[in-house]
Amino acid sequence: MHSDADSNPSPLLAVDNLTLRFSSASGNVVDGVSFSVSPGETLCIVGESGCGKSVTALSLMGLLPMPPAQITAGSAMFDGKDLLRMPRREMAAIRGNRMAMIFQEPMTSLNPAYRIGDQIAEVVLRHRPVTRKQARARALEMLDRVKIPAAVKRLDDYPHQLSGGMRQRVMIAMALANDPALLIADEPTTALDVTIQAQILQLIRTLQEETGTALIMITHDLGVVAEVGDRVAVMYAGRIVEQGSVDDVFIDPQHPYTLGLMSSIPSLSKREGRLTTIPGMVPTVDTMPPGCRFAPRCPFAGAECKAAVPPLTDLSPGHAAACIRAPLEAEAHFDGAVA
Amino acid sequence: MLSYILRRLAIAIPTLILVSMFIFTLQKILPGDPALALAGEERDAAALEFIREKYKLNDPIYEQYLAWAGGALKGDLGISLRTNQPVTELIGQKLPVTIQLAVMAIIIAFIIGIPMGVLSAVKKGTVFDYIANIVALSGLSIPNFWLGIMLILLVSVNLGWLPASGYVSPFIDPLRSLETMIMPAFVLGTALAATLMRHTRSAMLGVLRADYVRTARSKGLGETVVVIKHAFRNALLPIVTMTALLFGELLAGAVLTEQIFTIPGFGKLIVDAVFTRDYAVVQGVVLCTAVGYLLINLVADIVYFLLNPRMRSVL
Ligand SMILES: Nc1ncnc2c1ncn2[C@@H]1O[C@H](COP(=O)(O)OP(=O)(O)OP(=O)(O)O)[C@@H](O)[C@H]1O
Ligand code: SF4
Ligand SMILES: [Mg+2]
Repeated sequence: MHSDADSNPSPLLAVDNLTLRFSSASGNVVDGVSFSVSPGETLCIVGESGCGKSVTALSLMGLLPMPPAQITAGSAMFDGKDLLRMPRREMAAIRGNRMAMIFQEPMTSLNPAYRIGDQIAEVVLRHRPVTRKQARARALEMLDRVKIPAAVKRLDDYPHQLSGGMRQRVMIAMALANDPALLIADEPTTALDVTIQAQILQLIRTLQEETGTALIMITHDLGVVAEVGDRVAVMYAGRIVEQGSVDDVFIDPQHPYTLGLMSSIPSLSKREGRLTTIPGMVPTVDTMPPGCRFAPRCPFAGAECKAAVPPLTDLSPGHAAACIRAPLEAEAHFDGAVA
Repeated sequence: MLSYILRRLAIAIPTLILVSMFIFTLQKILPGDPALALAGEERDAAALEFIREKYKLNDPIYEQYLAWAGGALKGDLGISLRTNQPVTELIGQKLPVTIQLAVMAIIIAFIIGIPMGVLSAVKKGTVFDYIANIVALSGLSIPNFWLGIMLILLVSVNLGWLPASGYVSPFIDPLRSLETMIMPAFVLGTALAATLMRHTRSAMLGVLRADYVRTARSKGLGETVVVIKHAFRNALLPIVTMTALLFGELLAGAVLTEQIFTIPGFGKLIVDAVFTRDYAVVQGVVLCTAVGYLLINLVADIVYFLLNPRMRSVL
């Protein structure tokens, strides 16, 4: 199994061979996923809807409902400890503290019953030896940092009084309130208007620079990857098919799926331009083909592709792809024609 | 807030008028001559006519209604045809008994139903959940009267721990009052608890799936805080609505329970009045129930309003 330990001598988070399934389905929803994140770095995980991005993130946060989910293999070392085998209490002490997450659904992720100031203060009080007053002061400071206008007044607002973009800012404020070493952002802009999307992305970038937190940015949008990512992991049907620095992967994509994504980069102005131009359908968990999971849609596929799972192989330092044809010839391009 | 309450009251008034007209008319249409019932053995025409005149039974129905409604507004609901007592006085005697029974039953229902519902939602699919659901289902399917009679046989007749019937006002002897009321309240309360438990469970299952509960967990909060502060707090809204709807079940249950334990309450008053065609009492009792129903709903609305920040800012 590929390990990119050499490209990351002292990673903050090192996920190795993460494999998980749901009791309702026969196949693995996440299958042997490995990646690592260094302090202060941004790793983008990109892939089509349903490829297992959220599930991966949630499993790292210990937020997957188990059952039905079941982690069958792998480890995720964070601060020298395995997140996947951590007692509940220990995990809870890390969540919202050393490691925080913002979600795909800003409209429903805040508790409608409590004032936003209190919801931010709550996470501060949980992890820091502060008074209520100090926690509230921190909440105010955070609202300022996420550029919510008239923050003092907003502190006592309820979530329903805020727009989606403002709610996502509150979520960011909450996630960063304890200066986490790692922030996981699961498609933080997908549910927002286009103009707001750019603002929120910009905000996350600025805050990351200010605080030096590492970031896992989950997205289905290569535009986002280009904008915020240091490194990128391309996911397809529960596996990482290509991984490397954003420059390497964008300039010299090595997996046919990545090539396909490139030729269908949605422009930032058109959200409906999601990654749908690769012909064929993503296989469902129950109908995973043997060998390479991309084979049914791959223009380069041959019989040998179905024989065994192509391992994620280093092609150049820090750049790996899981395709038996890699490295692809320089001329190779995705013409969309499936034999 | 005040304007909200006033608006709710403004809706309540026409409702009450409609209800009162409805019961009044219905009674007049129903077969059976109250004059006959009153006259008893004396069935000669003169006596019947005298009775009809005395109780204004010959007047046009709308005049009878207006006279009755006018009186009701002044707190005069007429005279019981049977006991010759003012209806308001009768209600004043019996109502507190039933209110005591109902309040005790509701408290028991809350104490049992809500924690059980919360727990079985949190432990969904576990042995605890199955057992709790079986218990609740039995609670719903075991008739009140059967449970009541069994309790009387066991606790009163065999063990002699509690009185089987009767009533003592809590203002006279609180302990004795509790003794006489605890069994009926238990019978009534457990039936409600079963309903309450099932509704609490489904409300909790809904909110436990909510994104904000996941957010609460992502903050590193303990499971108790997540369940109580973040989930249950939001499940309260449907539970409050539910509790108000339980009022009907509560009243029906109270009527039955009072019969079993021979408690001289509102329920017994209703039953006796209906059987003896004591129209004034029936009308008064139904009107009183309607007022009670509207009041409970008003209280539920206010609680809902206080619990729901969304409502507060809309108004
Ligand atoms: N609770 C669950 N039970 C069963 N299957 C699930 C559950 N949650 C997710 N899945 C399955 O796991 C797969 C991965 O889902 P996931 O939410 O991680 O996708 P995603 O990459 O985040 O997609 P999107 O871009 O739509 O958010 C999907 O096929 C989904 O059907
Ligand atoms: S292994 Fe074969 S099927 Fe899979 S991506 Fe490479 S060429 Fe295509
Ligand atoms: Mg997702």
